[in-house]
Amino acid sequence: MLVKIASAAILGLEAYLVEVEIDSQRGLPGQSIVGLPDASVRESRDRVRAAIENSGFQFPPGYFTINLAPADTKKEGPLYDLPIALGMLSVSEQISVKNLNGTIILGELSLDGAVRGINGILPICLSLKKEGRNKVIVSKENADEAALVEAIEVLPVETLKEAAEFLSGAKIINPHKIDIASLFPPEPEYGIDFADVKGQGHVKRALEVAAAGGHNLLLVGSPGSGKTMLARRLPTILPPLSISEALEVTKLYSVTGLLDGKGVLVTTRPFRSPHHTTSDIGIIGGGRIPRPGEVSLSHLGVLFLDEFPEFERNVLEVLRQPLEDGKVTISRAHSTLTYPAQFMLVAAMNPCPCGNYMDPVKTCTCSPYTVQRYWGKLSGPLLDRIDLHVEVPRLKKEELAAQPDGEPSKMVRERVAAVRTIQQERFKGTETFCNARMTPRQMKEFCVLEKEGEELLKSAILHLQLSGRAYDRILKVSRTIADLEGSENIQARHIAEATQYRSLDRKGNEV
Amino acid sequence: MGKESYQQGIKGEEVAEKYLIQHGYKIIEKNFHSQQGEIDIIASENEFLVFVEVKNYSFRSYGSPLGAVRKSKKQSIIHAARTYLYKHNIKNTFCRFDVLTIYRRPDGSRAVDLYRNAFLIN
Repeated sequence: MLVKIASAAILGLEAYLVEVEIDSQRGLPGQSIVGLPDASVRESRDRVRAAIENSGFQFPPGYFTINLAPADTKKEGPLYDLPIALGMLSVSEQISVKNLNGTIILGELSLDGAVRGINGILPICLSLKKEGRNKVIVSKENADEAALVEAIEVLPVETLKEAAEFLSGAKIINPHKIDIASLFPPEPEYGIDFADVKGQGHVKRALEVAAAGGHNLLLVGSPGSGKTMLARRLPTILPPLSISEALEVTKLYSVTGLLDGKGVLVTTRPFRSPHHTTSDIGIIGGGRIPRPGEVSLSHLGVLFLDEFPEFERNVLEVLRQPLEDGKVTISRAHSTLTYPAQFMLVAAMNPCPCGNYMDPVKTCTCSPYTVQRYWGKLSGPLLDRIDLHVEVPRLKKEELAAQPDGEPSKMVRERVAAVRTIQQERFKGTETFCNARMTPRQMKEFCVLEKEGEELLKSAILHLQLSGRAYDRILKVSRTIADLEGSENIQARHIAEATQYRSLDRKGNEV
Repeated sequence: MGKESYQQGIKGEEVAEKYLIQHGYKIIEKNFHSQQGEIDIIASENEFLVFVEVKNYSFRSYGSPLGAVRKSKKQSIIHAARTYLYKHNIKNTFCRFDVLTIYRRPDGSRAVDLYRNAFLIN
């Protein structure tokens, strides 16, 4: 006797169909799972047995061979518990599966027979839709997430028994539906606001420019000057996620199992701040079957690296490729996977190990060599990829005592959103989505300088000894500044402001 | 001491046999030996061929008495079972491994527990 039940497996952000084939033979009792199962799949044996017995069924006699086809890809995770249990019950003729009709079944079993949620439901459902499947049985926990894919009929079950009753026609389960638009709050809720920050007007301006054009940013300042506080508020001025963007981010969080506590859909832009002891694999992603790293988890959001030079050098260097390409491709013996990584990098650092270098009040106790070594950790190519360098000075006594006086995030966000719309129009039909990611050809087309501006830029390059890449960065940033002003062409004052954000190119000459 | 525990073992198997017959088992063979294993009782129950391991104990051990059937013991039972099936050319029959525990109370009375389908071959 043989029964086939359809299930799925995830590879990266895509899923493919897995056929769970269950065959039983008379003989000594036992079971074996084939089709490259990993430990968590093999352990399903014990869960399935307990779940079947505790659901009021009999553990079927005989020897079971369970094949997860295709047999040449590695299967992981507990999601095959439910199809295996249902298959065994059907093979031993304890239940009928006349309502199966190609329904995909996914779910982990608890020992008492309850069906638990699994990771990666959203990407699985999206991929199954492409394969032309339209029915899926999932746990109640996963129902909302699965229902995000509109074309799929989602049948939530709470227990193994309920699933068995549905398949044999003894119970009708109503398809679960969800209204995606209702998941988006009318106003994004962050709990923090730009208006909380005292002073630091020019830093706020730089953050606004960075947010508007998707530029990377480096904040340099002594301890306690508010770098972290400012960086944390950056997501609050970014435009809200669109539905398709939200789905993209949710996919990443779903496969990594980080969706818990974030609701069904990630509706706010991610903000990730990994500790500086994070490894290069942690940042970029990896593992035997590569999983997304921090750069991918901050996709369409902000990756904040506090204490930037404290990160291992190799960790900083691996950032270069995703910063350039907006995606990471990770190759392992088993598979090569590509994850999106369109993030804004915000780095924060002290000007020297003690933190008081160039401070007007406190004295720096570092030797010039220490300072040089500290800065030496940041390679030229990496600094080149950061568009805006901003110094965050210590606040003066008066400023500290004053009331917070900043603009609320909402107003800044509206300006930023308007500039993002301009960019969407501008780059329609191309892969570029913001000024920071313009290709050289696009720069030629869209960064038209007025004569005065051109001369200013020329003299800046001459006097500041800027690299070719720094030149490009200035042009891109000035494009954003011009957009913020609603100006068609880039004018001299836009160039002047953009050049001012290259302070480290100058400092490099000093130290 | 050795002789006494042997006697108790014989007595235990008698108790076990009686218990199984009472519960609808038909005894086919007792103390079946293969080169690398042995089975205390082979019986049939409905459509099943049942290999029964009898466990005597006279002290309260910790945990389930099933724990007393260790991996090596299981392997020996499984080996003997395979040999038995091969020798008698039995195919297409559902088989099962049961464990029957007999606890001898200090007063000499016995408590019997039967664990059906106690373990699988892997």
